Amino acid sequence: MLSGPGAHETAPRILIVDDDPNLLVLLADQLRSDGYEIQTARDGDEALRRLRTSWPDLLIIDMMMPRMDGLSLAREIKGRADLPIIVLSAIDAGDSKADLLDEVAEDYVTKPYHYPELRARINRVLRRLGDKVPRQSLVLGPSLTLDLHRREATVGTQVVQLTPTESRLLYALAANIGQTVTTDTLLARGWAETEDADPSYVWVTMRRLRQKVEVDPNRPVHLQTVRGVGYRLVMADAGATTATTATNATTAGPADG
Amino acid sequence: MVEPGGVSATGATVPDAAPAVATGAAAPALDAAAQAALAREVSDREAAARDALFGDTWPDDLDREADRGREGGRGGWLNLGLSFRTRLTIALVAASIIPLAGFGILLLIVDPAAAQGATIGRFLLFILVVAAISGILLAYLLAADLTAPLRAIAAAVDRASAGDLSTPIVVPGEDELARLADSHNRLAADLERRNRELGRILQAIQSGSPHDSPDFIAGRAANDARTAFGMIDAYVLLVDPDDIAEEERIPGESLPIRAVLRAGSEDLGVLVGHLPATRLWERADQDLLELYASEVAVAIRNAQLFARVESQNSQLLELDAAKDDFLRGVSHNLQTPLTSIRAYADQLGRDRPDRRLGIIAEQTDRLSRMVRQLLTVTRLESGALKPRSEVVALAHPVRRAWEALAAADVTFTVDDRSGGWLAVADVDQLDQVLWALLDNALKYGNRTPITVEIAPDTQSRLRLTICDLGAGVAESDRARLFRRFERGADRSADDGSGLGLYVSRELCRAMEGDLVLEPHVAGRGAAFSIYLPGEPPEEA
Repeated sequence: MLSGPGAHETAPRILIVDDDPNLLVLLADQLRSDGYEIQTARDGDEALRRLRTSWPDLLIIDMMMPRMDGLSLAREIKGRADLPIIVLSAIDAGDSKADLLDEVAEDYVTKPYHYPELRARINRVLRRLGDKVPRQSLVLGPSLTLDLHRREATVGTQVVQLTPTESRLLYALAANIGQTVTTDTLLARGWAETEDADPSYVWVTMRRLRQKVEVDPNRPVHLQTVRGVGYRLVMADAGATTATTATNATTAGPADG
Repeated sequence: MVEPGGVSATGATVPDAAPAVATGAAAPALDAAAQAALAREVSDREAAARDALFGDTWPDDLDREADRGREGGRGGWLNLGLSFRTRLTIALVAASIIPLAGFGILLLIVDPAAAQGATIGRFLLFILVVAAISGILLAYLLAADLTAPLRAIAAAVDRASAGDLSTPIVVPGEDELARLADSHNRLAADLERRNRELGRILQAIQSGSPHDSPDFIAGRAANDARTAFGMIDAYVLLVDPDDIAEEERIPGESLPIRAVLRAGSEDLGVLVGHLPATRLWERADQDLLELYASEVAVAIRNAQLFARVESQNSQLLELDAAKDDFLRGVSHNLQTPLTSIRAYADQLGRDRPDRRLGIIAEQTDRLSRMVRQLLTVTRLESGALKPRSEVVALAHPVRRAWEALAAADVTFTVDDRSGGWLAVADVDQLDQVLWALLDNALKYGNRTPITVEIAPDTQSRLRLTICDLGAGVAESDRARLFRRFERGADRSADDGSGLGLYVSRELCRAMEGDLVLEPHVAGRGAAFSIYLPGEPPEEA
């Protein structure tokens, strides 16, 4: 699918919704000069009107707008079509409102935004369109269910919260369920906007993820290491998991921690 | 008769009821406390009521009576009245006189002269024996006839003390014993009625909840009073009792009763109503009604207090939410123009590089960080800040924060001895902390070289120490450095918000780490250390 500007003949179309005309013009300029096709809307009503005639590949929505705020608009849009949304907001992680964003937006960027970071996030969200992860529960076995659109995992009866990076990694693994995903791929998926990230980021995050989603982190059932290559996510009670070992996992073998 | 079993049974239900009500309603802590207090008050009042209603007369006497009965003496009943004693005396006298009289009469009838005969002696003996036997028999029958009702009364008293007040004693006739049995029956019936009333009252009191509105409690109390006391009508009026004139009693018409709703020294209202004209209304009944009224008063006062606390609570929550919204709005309204300024300065700078545009961008950043800091403080204080910790190599954010400060003239070294260990931290929050500490080091270090050391600490922790070669922190300032709006004594003129260190420490703690000021070391300036959870860089 779309993996960013320049790589495809058709430029990704982005609809920006913000009540600040200065920002609207500027951001549109910046993104246009990077090869995106930009449409703008001054408020939620205008945005919904535009959606009637054409669907963009991605929306950037300001959190605080008069009349219909970003959250309501994002909900409204998600109710019509599962379009990817990045929310621009003056609030940051840790705010109770930021939790609500998780449900309706793919990502959010804090104002004042740093343009290269925003661009990196746009590209990542567009890339992720290729991952066919459903916005519904993913039952991996009797003791693990993933609700990635809500950044939640249910382990046994316990609901645990996942961080944005953890859910991004699980997205990538779930899209290739049963197959090995290389550490480099996971690194690209999880840390697109972090310039200096190295494989240890993946290792440590997977270790922490295992603590969260495995009943016995020392004997992982779902999150298996393919030593030297990467990781794979497997269904628990499928006896065929060992048979369908990933094709690219030459050094593969069931990990035992 | 207040049966010990009955009283202790009702007494026991009160403490039991308190936790049951509290947990059953899944009420908040305040609610549970109020319930417990109410239950305590109810049980105290119940004890007081028992004293007031029956204390002086019944329980003690009854206990003594019962004890004497159980000891088998039954002597108590012999003291009951002259008439009974007289009858018993008559019986005994009769028993002793009849043989003598019979003997005398026989002697006169048969033959006075024969009395001196030899056979006379044997005959006399026979007569005596017969007379004695019939005398004893007569006395026995008489005594049995007399003690039968006494035994029935004793048994009834035993039953009453075991809790059965409903079985009346049946003693035919009109004598004293019949009257005694009658008064026992009346007493038992009265007690049973009052017990029933007390039970209904307690039930009514226990069924209340502080969530009920005072008007609802008043309405229900009136209804409960009507059923419990068998009234024709009953009202609870939440007005000054003096405003409600006392009704006069007119013989033959329904009987007006009233009781003031008194909680402590405060009169909350009055309970008024009417009883059927035939109904007896005694002192004990009035005491019970007044007790009930005071319970209702306490319940109403509790409900009033509870409602006040509730409304204050919800007001505070509303205010807090409003404050949060306000700050969010302020933050948004400040950040939006800053975003434009910042982005335009960046764009212009790319087209035509100019140091002045760089300064505009830096200062915009600074302003926007101060706005964020203010927002973070309120969020920390309301506990709404929940860090999203991810893994991160500390050297990167340190360099990024340093670049944001754009102090090219100051020597800056990062001594990374972490050995690849990664910190677990919320990158956004960590950025705030690093920026604030580096900004401080720049300001107070007098632009001396700044060193950042990253190294594993004990217990899976990473330490990051930022130190300068400036004057360090004065001894007098060390203690209050991390307080809100505090700055060093000689630093009042600078442009900081006084929040940097406070917010930074709180943020570190929210990320399960800490921020400390290191002890002074000769040749070194101020040194602050951040501690954060760390992870070794091994494939797993």
